Order: sequence, then C-alpha cells, then structure tokens
Amino acid sequence: MKIASRRAAAFLPAAMTLLILFPAARASDDFFDSVDDHLKFSALNGAVEGRISGLLDLEEYYVQQPSPGLVYENHSFLFNPRLTLNLDLQLGKQFYLFAQARADRGYDPSEESDGQVRADQYALRYTPCADDRVNFQVGKFAGVVGSWSKRDDSWQNPFITPPLPYENLTSILDSAAAPSGSALNSWQNLSKNSRLPIIWDANYTSGASIFGSIGNFDYAAEIKNASISSNPDSWSITSVGFSNPTYSGRLGWRPNEAWNLGVSSSVGTYLIPVAAGTLPPGEGLDDYREITVAQDASFAWHHLQLWAECYETRFQVPTVGNADTLAYYIEAKYKFTPEFFAALRWNQQIYNTVPNGSGGMTVWDSDTARIDAAFTYRFTPHIQAKIQYSFNDQYDGIQATQNFVAAQFTVRF
Amino acid sequence: MKLFLGLFAVELIFSMGGWAQAQATIEGHIDLPKSPTAEVINKRYESDGEPGVIIPDPPAAVVYLDGVFAPAKQPATAQMAQKNLDFVPRLLPVRVGTKVEFPNQDPTYHSVFSFSQPKRFDLGRYRGDETPIPSVIFDKPGPVVCRCDIHENMRAIILVLLTPYFARTDAKGDYRIGGLPSGSYTFCAWLNDKTVLQKHVELQKGTTLHVNFP
Repeated sequence: MKIASRRAAAFLPAAMTLLILFPAARASDDFFDSVDDHLKFSALNGAVEGRISGLLDLEEYYVQQPSPGLVYENHSFLFNPRLTLNLDLQLGKQFYLFAQARADRGYDPSEESDGQVRADQYALRYTPCADDRVNFQVGKFAGVVGSWSKRDDSWQNPFITPPLPYENLTSILDSAAAPSGSALNSWQNLSKNSRLPIIWDANYTSGASIFGSIGNFDYAAEIKNASISSNPDSWSITSVGFSNPTYSGRLGWRPNEAWNLGVSSSVGTYLIPVAAGTLPPGEGLDDYREITVAQDASFAWHHLQLWAECYETRFQVPTVGNADTLAYYIEAKYKFTPEFFAALRWNQQIYNTVPNGSGGMTVWDSDTARIDAAFTYRFTPHIQAKIQYSFNDQYDGIQATQNFVAAQFTVRF
Repeated sequence: MKLFLGLFAVELIFSMGGWAQAQATIEGHIDLPKSPTAEVINKRYESDGEPGVIIPDPPAAVVYLDGVFAPAKQPATAQMAQKNLDFVPRLLPVRVGTKVEFPNQDPTYHSVFSFSQPKRFDLGRYRGDETPIPSVIFDKPGPVVCRCDIHENMRAIILVLLTPYFARTDAKGDYRIGGLPSGSYTFCAWLNDKTVLQKHVELQKGTTLHVNFP
C-alpha cells in the first residue's frame, strides 16, 4: 500500500504537468461535450427526461501525523481516487428523482479501505404547485443546516477539504458518554473513528423534508434519522433506525442576487444505541441531544465570492452537563482569469468549560484555528487541477502547528 | 423580440453593403441534425423556482460566402441573451470586430465565460440590471463556445466570420441570403466545429441561386 501511495504521489504532479504542456487537453472539450450529450435521455414522449453526470477525482494528501480532520491516514501520503456518478430524473412536472453514487476509498479519505461503492444520496421530490412555494422530499440527502453542503463536490468547492466546522473532530463520542469533564477533555486524544465534529461534511442522513421559496424568502424543515454530527455509518435508514430522529430547519433571505442570508437550527440525539450502557440508570439516548444554531451569509459580485458561517453547538453530556462550542469560517474566492482562481479561508473553533468532576472547571477540548489557501487552474470547462495548503494551530492539543498539503485533479462530465 | 430585431438590423446592414455593389441572392435548405434532448436541471441541493427541464431551441446552421471583402466601416453590435436558463440564440454568427452584448434576462445570476482559442473571456457574475450590459468584442475568426459557470446546462456558440455575407437558417433548415456581390465564390454551410460543407457558386447580378446541402 505504501508503494502504491508513493507511485500515486509521483503520478499526480506528472499528470498535471502533462496537461499543462500538451494543449491536447483543451481539444478534449468537444469530446466531453459529446459525452454530455450522450448522457442525456428521454422516454415516454418526453414525460421522463434524464441526465447522468459525474466527476472523476484523483487526490493526493500530504499530512502531518496525527492526520487532521476527516482524513484517515497513518502515513505521510494518501492517494484517494474517487468516481462520482449523478442521476437526475424529471418525471413529468411534479416529480424529480436524484441519486448519487461514489466509488472511492471511503466517504472520507482513508487508508483503511482499498475501495468501496456507495449510494450517498437518493431522493424523490414532489412539487404539487406550479411555482416553488412548497416541495416534499423523502430519501437520503444533504441536510438543510448551513449552506456549505451545496458546494461539497470537487467542482464547486474551491478547496479540497471542507470548512473546519464540517470536519474538526471534537472529544464527543457517539458510542459512549464521558463520565466527567476531565475524561471528556482527554478523549480528544482517542482514535478518530468514534469522535464527532459538530456537523459531519454534507450530512447525507435519511428522512423527509418540506421546503420552498416565497418571494425573496426560502424555508426548509426536515426530520432525519441521525444527528448532523453523525458518522456516515449512521446515515442509512437501516443502520440506526428512526427511533431517535433529528429535527432541523433553515430560513433564508435573498435581498437580491448578490446576497444570501440564512439562519438554521437542529436538535437531535447524537449518541448511538451502543452508548446506552454508559448512560445514568433510567435515562435514554434521547435525553441527551446535540442542539445547534447556525448563521450563514454569502455574497457574490463579478469575480468575487464570499461565504461565512457560524455554528453555536451544545452537546448535552450525562453527568458533565452542557458542552458548548462555537465554530466559524470566512471564505473568499477570486477569479483572476477564465482559467485561474484562488481561495482563502479562515476557520476557528473555540470550546467552553465544563465541570471537571473534582470541583473545578476545564475546557472540554482544545481551541483550534486554521487557515486554508487554495489555487485552481481550469484547463477546460471539464478539467481542473487544484492545490491546497493548510496550517492548523491547536491550543494545547496534539495537532498544534500542523501543515497539510493536498492536490486534486478533476474531470467533470 | 429586441434581440431578433438587433440581429435583423445587423444582417440588413451587411446586406445593404453588398447591395450597393451588386445584387445576387442564394437560398436553399440544409438538412439539420435532430433536435437535442431536453436538459434536466440539477436541483439536488435546492429548488429555487428554476424550471426542471430546459427545452433547447431547434438546431440551426450558418451559411456564409467565403472570400476577402472590405472591412466594415463601423463595428456592429449583436446580442446573446440569457433567458430561462438558456442562451438565446444558441448559435450566433457575427463578423470579426463585432461587439456582442450578453444581457441577463433571468431573475438570477449568470456568469458567462469561454475558453475557446479565438476569444477567452469571463464576465463574472452579473444580474439583469447591470449597466452597461456586459459585452465582448470578437476580434478573431472561429467558433467561440460560451458557457455559464453557474448553470452547467448552458452552452452556445458565437461563430466569428471574416465575411459580411452570412445568415442563420430557420428551424426547418431553410435560409435566404441576399445582397451578395457577383463573382465566383466558395459558399459554406457551418453545422458544427467538425462539419463545414462547401460548394462552389457563380453569382450573377439580379439572379437567385438555389443551393441545398443534403
């Protein structure tokens, strides 16, 4: 596996160099346009219109140990290829069905898997009215909290990794409740496999939603099977059932095309059934919840785009009390030429104090700040290469002064 | 309507320029490719009132008289609008030096760009009330593929030509191009980047030539 990773590490820069040197890549435009045309289809005299699209990503990560965020790698390099296929089906005027499947090394880049194929999203939408005032949707799909999930693919995201609130693992576990504040603080050093962020990436949990837009306002409310912090293993309806649902909603306002403002909230059980044995006698999983309030704002004008989100989250922890944290990011992207754009993102997460179990108080995790910079070059409307550098500073934690470099090569069809 | 009037005016100016030299007309028919399949809009993350399916305009072709002609006295202006999440028209022939405006007629942002060799540009995100209307001068001949960075279904071609004598077919493939100078020329039908049909024509003053491209 190490040899494969090294070969991959050499392959990616070589592939990018070849693309820069050989303008043949630019001649591939016609080919991909033709592929696009062939992946559209129609049936039943136009009653069913469909389209298949996708992304092929080749990613190479250089990480300082312990690996940050949602990258699971015990060595310095990780090669992560990913094929994403999307199906969009319009069934008459009132029904829309979509599905997204991925083949990669795990939902989050991981050395632990040589490959897996998953259905990450699938949902059926019913739009009863001619306008967009109300829609009903059922299936497994991105959560409504925040605004980042619609930018989570490699073509939309100017970075390779998500913003800090969507991937910074805290000392909260889904499989056990900490017996004291001191124990909770020490759990930040546990294996990443059972720790939770405040919101896990695009959060493709299962359930139903109602949403729509009226004038400059839009709304969304959903009931899902797992919390916004839940691990991808919990997202399928068959994994944790629907006995402890999570309720989420968002209200948005678009004063004009440039601005998009929103507030969202979520309440749900973050502990999974295996944690029941760590709860006080007589109490259930749904007595302890993750409660989140979030604000998001975005602005776009000509070649500049700005995004910002702020999350205030409370994990209710048995014995310990309320473990509160605040996380935010501010992100800017500027397009210098048709082919080249750069992005900069400042991220921070700070933690409140909890009783340490010995009569005092302790911070329940280590404050973290991170700056991300990324550069993207689009060779054609279908091919791009991206490089990201991140510097992570964790106060009094094991990931202090940590460097991270990642490169990504993407083909879109 | 405004757009078509603009196009008509552009063609009329070119036609009248030729008319001053001599009058000849070519008309005929081109077998067009079948209509493209409707575009399903990706609405996986939200629904903001945009239509679920875009029915594209029927295909069209461009006919033009190849040759070396006097440069235009005044640069022309044409428009390629963005309306109902599509380019209108999807195929726009212009002469070298023409300024093409890209008015946004939708209640949402568009971001028109092109990576084509004859003209690389990126207008950024702009809305309908933007003044002046975002525009680009096309100063080199060749096909320029225009796209929108926000709506991946949007794709159109501006065919930049050296000649002032050109016309776009109607949806049936019929065309008529008048005010042509007499003489011996190559007459071309542009269907796409890879398919340009050619025929030799002898134009005489006051005559109408029928040229079909099967």
